Amino acid sequence: MKGIGLDIGSRTVKLVVCENGVIKMTRKEANTHDPLSLCRDMLCGIEADRIIATGYGRHLLGGYLPCETVSEIKAFARGSQAIHKPCSTVLDIGGQDTKAISLDDKGKIARFQMNDKCAAGTGRFLEVMATALGLSLEDFIEAAASAETAEPVNSMCAVFAESEVISMIARGSSRAGIALGIHQAVARRAVSLLEKVSVREDILFAGGVALNPCMRTQIEEQLGRLVIVPQDPQIVGALGCALMASEE
Amino acid sequence: MAPRQKTNEARRILHSTAIAPTEPLILDAFTSDPAGRILHLVLSKREQGAHVIGLYCGYAPLELIRAIKGIPAFLCASSGKTIAAAEAVLPANLCPLIKSSFGYIRTKSCPFYELSEVVIGETTCDGKKKMFELIAPLKPTHVMDLPYQPVEEGTLARWTDRVRRLKAFLEETFAAEIAAERIEAEIRETNLKCRLMDRVFDYAALDPSALHWSELLDIIAVEPLMGGEEFHRFVSPLLQRLETRAAGGIGFARPGSPRVLVSGCPIGGEAKKVLRIVEEAGGVVVALEGCSGMKGYSIRIDEGTGDPLAAVAAATLKIPCACMTPNRRRFDALDEMIRRFRPHAVIDVILQACHTYNIESWQIERHVQERHGLPFLKIETDYSQSDVEPLRTRIEALLESC
Ligand code: SF4
Ligand code: SF4
Repeated sequence: MKGIGLDIGSRTVKLVVCENGVIKMTRKEANTHDPLSLCRDMLCGIEADRIIATGYGRHLLGGYLPCETVSEIKAFARGSQAIHKPCSTVLDIGGQDTKAISLDDKGKIARFQMNDKCAAGTGRFLEVMATALGLSLEDFIEAAASAETAEPVNSMCAVFAESEVISMIARGSSRAGIALGIHQAVARRAVSLLEKVSVREDILFAGGVALNPCMRTQIEEQLGRLVIVPQDPQIVGALGCALMASEE
Repeated sequence: MAPRQKTNEARRILHSTAIAPTEPLILDAFTSDPAGRILHLVLSKREQGAHVIGLYCGYAPLELIRAIKGIPAFLCASSGKTIAAAEAVLPANLCPLIKSSFGYIRTKSCPFYELSEVVIGETTCDGKKKMFELIAPLKPTHVMDLPYQPVEEGTLARWTDRVRRLKAFLEETFAAEIAAERIEAEIRETNLKCRLMDRVFDYAALDPSALHWSELLDIIAVEPLMGGEEFHRFVSPLLQRLETRAAGGIGFARPGSPRVLVSGCPIGGEAKKVLRIVEEAGGVVVALEGCSGMKGYSIRIDEGTGDPLAAVAAATLKIPCACMTPNRRRFDALDEMIRRFRPHAVIDVILQACHTYNIESWQIERHVQERHGLPFLKIETDYSQSDVEPLRTRIEALLESC
């Protein structure tokens, strides 16, 4: 059986096709103001028996084609298990959501936590902060990685943090130090979310922010443990959906 | 009290359930306007000479209010519409219930406040306590000083004294006396109504649940406004209808729908979005633990003690509100509700900035998971609709794990 998994995130739409448990294709596109059209384009030319969607836009396709939905929690739990069987804890930092999931020995969801309704501590927060520092996201990450000492940033609200950063620049703090401080603040947030669900190894770090090596280091330092970043951390949710869709 | 709204929740979901009831439970002129029913009841009692007495919460003993020929009117506090007006005075980072209520009063849009001759408040939380200071100049407002350690020595004596002061306040304001026999008679009325409510709850406990949460809320809203006999007349046909549903296996659930117990802060008006999302995600709300739901009805007042005022004080002090410390009774009551309503998951709803319920939620989570092995979700929300989608994600994930 062939199944399509779609993860319609706030920044990126991810698509995975699985047949009998094996990945056949993956696609990723930056989301637009018209996610429905984007999904239709991405689905174009793909035949499958079943589609399962997740992500904030998961209910979008329902009126257009037969499409089931699952929550991101279930999708990430399933995808993480497929990527790394001994995984007991999942951290996902995406564009507008951060979630921590703990799995029991059978791979069932034991507990989960999501960030508050605002963008604090998500990928979007990092983007806003990079802009406030006048850096591209790549340069922002590089600056953070090269910093010797961090300038502590306290606010986690994107609006407050922006003015905090601006006044730090005005006081002459180094941009690299501020960039590192922002990474540390986001990592702290993620770690406290993880601690709420209880942290057991192995820990899988997924979502677009897992592509950021400085964030990974910061999270590992604050947790005092290593995390596993999959080869493509962005497709974990879509993979979970595709696997569910390719089963009877 | 819910603002005027004309939707009939129960009817709204009928189409999505194969075996759902086909007729509304409450058949009267207000079937599709439950808020109108409440206003009508208050107005008609007032025409018959009752004093309208504005209330916030269950710590104000209703027996004294009825004994002085009062009609208790729970004030509007569950709409986001009035919050902007409140925030002109109050800080934004405050419980939406307090802001909403203050906004209603400030914009003169709460009919129950406008009708009230006096208002009774309690020092249940800092926000309400300080808000009462702001509304006190507008209308006679009596604030009861509530002690927080329910089982400590001396607490009951202190609370009994506060109940006695309320009696004195009512007697002075309305130039009448409250005789002990009147309180005793009202205790019997309350107990009778609690027993009737208990019979209603039996139908929520069925599988499938024969009682929809919106029907439950509608009955709960009517109960304080009626005497024992009157409420008996009101509820009897409902019990018959519920019995017919039960006998026919008719109820609000699809096969396999997870049963959900919702606990925490009072839920009314716009906070009902949580209950709707549970339903849209395929769950059935079978029990409401909070003060707007079933919690208060499990308490019986001792009859024939010879000191009815003390009996009333002792009973109200048993309300398991998170303002109490320690709040052991809430956990006991929750155990009993879980036994009775057999939920598959518990959702604890915290109104933003309600510190007591928010902190207690951690203990509730441990209790529900460790003692009962049930999936648990804490939700912090307010009266805006902006978090509906994030809430949906969390609730869907919770129900998937049932
Ligand atoms: S939760 Fe506490 S303060 Fe609120 S209505 Fe109930 S008893 Fe009163
Ligand atoms: S919900 Fe909490 S903060 Fe709000 S009025 Fe009730 S006790 Fe106070």
